[in-house]
Amino acid sequence: MLRRDRDQGWLGGVAAGIARRFGVDVSLVRLAFVVAAAAGGVGVAAYALGWLLIPAGDSGPGRVRIRTGRAAVEVALGTGLLLVAVLLTFRELGLWLSDAAVWPLVLVAAGGALIWRQSTEEPAAPPTLRPPDRVAREEGPATATAISREEGRRAAAAISRTGVGIALVVAAGLVFLQATGALGAARDVLLGIVAVVVVLGVIFAPWVVRLVRSLTQERAERIRSQERAEVAAHLHDSVLQTLAMVQRSDDPTEVAALARRQERELRAWLAGRPAPGQGGRLASALEAAAAEVEEQHGVPVEVVAVGDRDLDQAHEAVVAAAREAMTNAAKFGAGSPVDVYAESNGGRTQVFVRDRGPGFDTAAVPPDRRGVSESIVGRMERHGGRARVTSAPGSGTEVELVLDHS
Amino acid sequence: MVAGAAVVALGVLLLLDAGGTLDLHFGVLGPVVCAALGAILLASGLSRPR
Repeated sequence: MLRRDRDQGWLGGVAAGIARRFGVDVSLVRLAFVVAAAAGGVGVAAYALGWLLIPAGDSGPGRVRIRTGRAAVEVALGTGLLLVAVLLTFRELGLWLSDAAVWPLVLVAAGGALIWRQSTEEPAAPPTLRPPDRVAREEGPATATAISREEGRRAAAAISRTGVGIALVVAAGLVFLQATGALGAARDVLLGIVAVVVVLGVIFAPWVVRLVRSLTQERAERIRSQERAEVAAHLHDSVLQTLAMVQRSDDPTEVAALARRQERELRAWLAGRPAPGQGGRLASALEAAAAEVEEQHGVPVEVVAVGDRDLDQAHEAVVAAAREAMTNAAKFGAGSPVDVYAESNGGRTQVFVRDRGPGFDTAAVPPDRRGVSESIVGRMERHGGRARVTSAPGSGTEVELVLDHS
Repeated sequence: MVAGAAVVALGVLLLLDAGGTLDLHFGVLGPVVCAALGAILLASGLSRPR
């Protein structure tokens, strides 16, 4: 049902509600209202009517899937042609400001919307974080080529959208100058600007190229560093913990079971699948992690979850950090029960892990211990969240994980 | 269905113009053609799965 989306809207949420209902980009609907406003104020009247007649609602859970590819192009072209029809009709009827005002406004609005959308769009997640040679080795050269083509297509689409947007804005300027008779005078100024740009381009091009390369290299280095930290945190939470338990165990059956579980978990991780027992929803993943810690360490772990949501990459990191906090509490809490409280409402997820053990001095933790610094604090920060560890000798430990999301 | 209706409506207008009932000059025909094409494309795009 059509409802105004007040959460995502700028004014009354009419455009956002229409976009949500029909699965189109909200920028397109907003642009349609702006352009229609140039046709004798039709857009303003239509928006006011929508505000009055469409009931208000909330955006509800989950992200809206908008149309992409050919469907998006058809919707955009269809809307554009309908708007042109409205504009031409009002021009014919005489309800019209002037050609010098309306057409440049329409072009600037369309071009500006394209550029704005491109600049504010979240970068799409790459098809894989594995390097091409590893993909080719593991999944064959055809998959590696397909992934490489997909990345190239995304980059080309982004450049095309920005290029079309810039071209529309430039065209708007030219139409305005032509309509007001200022194009002749502007031509001399334009030639001067072009000459200066060419000269500056020749002088500064090598420096700009070097700067771009350096930034690209720095970005790649940062990504590699984050990947290394992620791998280190994962190994710490999985393989190292299991090896420590193997060392303490005298039972060959238990050692074999630990090895089998670790092997399954590692294989799933290498293949990019969720670990066994994970995937799905936040609350069930936390409960699965608690059950695992309880089984491994023989310490009761109580989970209370208020609100729930689908697990995305960031929330998987919250679960992994919470699991590490539970493991620490079970290992160093002197057998005291571990309480986990999770709350996911609106735009925030919070998880608290508490124990009533002997506690520790957080300032005295050696820097080479990765459990708190990398597997909890570092992991949360890499995924846009934060973690706080509160503890003191004799007063137990509390780990708070916070993740704000859209 | 929208595409069919749009083309039929356009055909009717052209018939009326040919019969002399209507006078379709560019100022009228332009918006009509744009609206027909726009409706066809919009309906086609919205009917595709998300």
